[in-house]
Amino acid sequence: MQPVSELLKNVSFCQDLNESARSKLGALLISRKISAGAVIFRELDESDCLYIVQAGSIVISKHVQDQVDIVLTRFHAGDFFGEMGLFDTSPRSATAQTETDSILLRLDRKAFQQIFSDEPEMAARICYRLVTVFIERLRATNDQAREAIRWGLEATGFSPAPEHAAFGRRST
Amino acid sequence: MTEPAKLELLARSSDAGGFQIVEVNSLHAYSAYKPSRLPQSHWEVTPQPKGADGMHQFVLKNLRQDSYVLLNANEYFLWNHFDGRHSLEEIGRAFHLSFGAFDYAVIRQLLAKLYSCDLLESKRLLDLQLNGATAPDSRWTSRFRWNLRRWCTMSFRVPHADRLCSVIYQRGGFLLFHPFTFYLSLAAAACAMIVALRLGQNAGSFAYFLKARPWLISGLTLATLVAVSILHVLVHALACKAHGRRVREMGFFLLQGIVPTFYADVTDIFMSSRRARIAVDLAGPMVEVVLGSIAILSAHAASPGVGQALLFAVGLALWESALINLYPFNFLEMDGYNILADLTAMPMLRQQALALIPNLYDRLCNVRSMARAEWLQLAYLMLCLISVFIYVIVHIDGLKALLHLT
Repeated sequence: MQPVSELLKNVSFCQDLNESARSKLGALLISRKISAGAVIFRELDESDCLYIVQAGSIVISKHVQDQVDIVLTRFHAGDFFGEMGLFDTSPRSATAQTETDSILLRLDRKAFQQIFSDEPEMAARICYRLVTVFIERLRATNDQAREAIRWGLEATGFSPAPEHAAFGRRST
Repeated sequence: MTEPAKLELLARSSDAGGFQIVEVNSLHAYSAYKPSRLPQSHWEVTPQPKGADGMHQFVLKNLRQDSYVLLNANEYFLWNHFDGRHSLEEIGRAFHLSFGAFDYAVIRQLLAKLYSCDLLESKRLLDLQLNGATAPDSRWTSRFRWNLRRWCTMSFRVPHADRLCSVIYQRGGFLLFHPFTFYLSLAAAACAMIVALRLGQNAGSFAYFLKARPWLISGLTLATLVAVSILHVLVHALACKAHGRRVREMGFFLLQGIVPTFYADVTDIFMSSRRARIAVDLAGPMVEVVLGSIAILSAHAASPGVGQALLFAVGLALWESALINLYPFNFLEMDGYNILADLTAMPMLRQQALALIPNLYDRLCNVRSMARAEWLQLAYLMLCLISVFIYVIVHIDGLKALLHLT
């Protein structure tokens, strides 16, 4: 397992930060060990922090029906998730669950707001990188939506209507 | 070929925290899919007479949308199993037991057909745009395409055609379909035929009168033909009403994208008997026969002169128009073709015959393996080609004269 200072070098939103900024950020993170299969947060839970995966594997899913969720994505060491919770007070949009035993680093919204007030330049660098990640994830969501629609079309045998599908007689 | 789409699902177990990730392939879902047709009150199906292959075809009507689909025996079997209780895998197995072979493409094509007519219980999924990926055309090409598309779709519809026809039928239109009217028409046609033979001896003087005022005569003949073709179509529609069926549309369009013509959509007559269909097909040309007979009988009664010549010419033109309409082998779906399609119980005869063309050589090399239906399609195709060839030969002098003039 990588130490926090080393790990942050590989976290995408920290890539524009220098050594001292990273150590300042590291000091604000709270480490948490979670066993496999545990729920980190559920869809519609209160949302107030971001998580960085230090070790293990996290699966993000969204409820579809009964006991079934659709898997949206997976995160591994060096990835982060729950970033919407830093900016938005709306409930969680998906459920996060550990696939294997994992260690997470938690960054609370209050701590993030403290960076904004104390270190605006550092906050700006983080935000710039976060926007890039948001864009990447939005693109991935679009692809996923297209795949889900393709799945639906294939599963129901839907295809464009053949020529002359409808039948008719015009007397002239 | 693209890989089937996959969905990754997280299935939670009842014990706290446990879950399982399952990957579901769209093909697995497809074979487990249970297509469900609309409730029976929303559709109507009518078997058609046995075709050349000895099998029945079926016309399926969506009563909500007034759309129709033609099903062959295999497709009808599948339609009966689309009850929402059988999966495609089970249906495929049942199909295999009944018909001895099975191709999932049959189901896929049928599903596409049924989706397009909204005959399955399912929300409309997507209107796929197939032209999105093509390279952009040059300005002239796109302009040409645009004009061509506009030309091919040039049409208009009479609003509330069915209601209009019902009113006309109730207010006297029904008299046209009384047996007395039919026998009277036959008698008039027979008399007119005898009279025409006698008047034919004066053809020279008629030609003299007609040549004297060519524009007036051509204009009047053309106007008469247009008016009669509107009546022709109206009588088709009234015949449909006489058999208690609906007239979907009436209007003007380009037949096969070429011939400007008036039309009445009488598809609903497929929910009736073959006899009713042939009666509807014949009703239209009867208009030309009767009006042509009246014109010729009037010419007989008229005193010699331009009027008599005009009546005679119009009468002959109407008879000729009836004959052209009744001639089935011209690649056009006119009344004669419709009668032929009804008699052979092959409602898609023209389309099937045209579909033979790309593989015609191979089919002709293996004539022994050809089914009876294919022979009929081939015969139709050949007779159409011969007819077109003869038409061109007969009119080649006219064409040469036209080219010479221009």
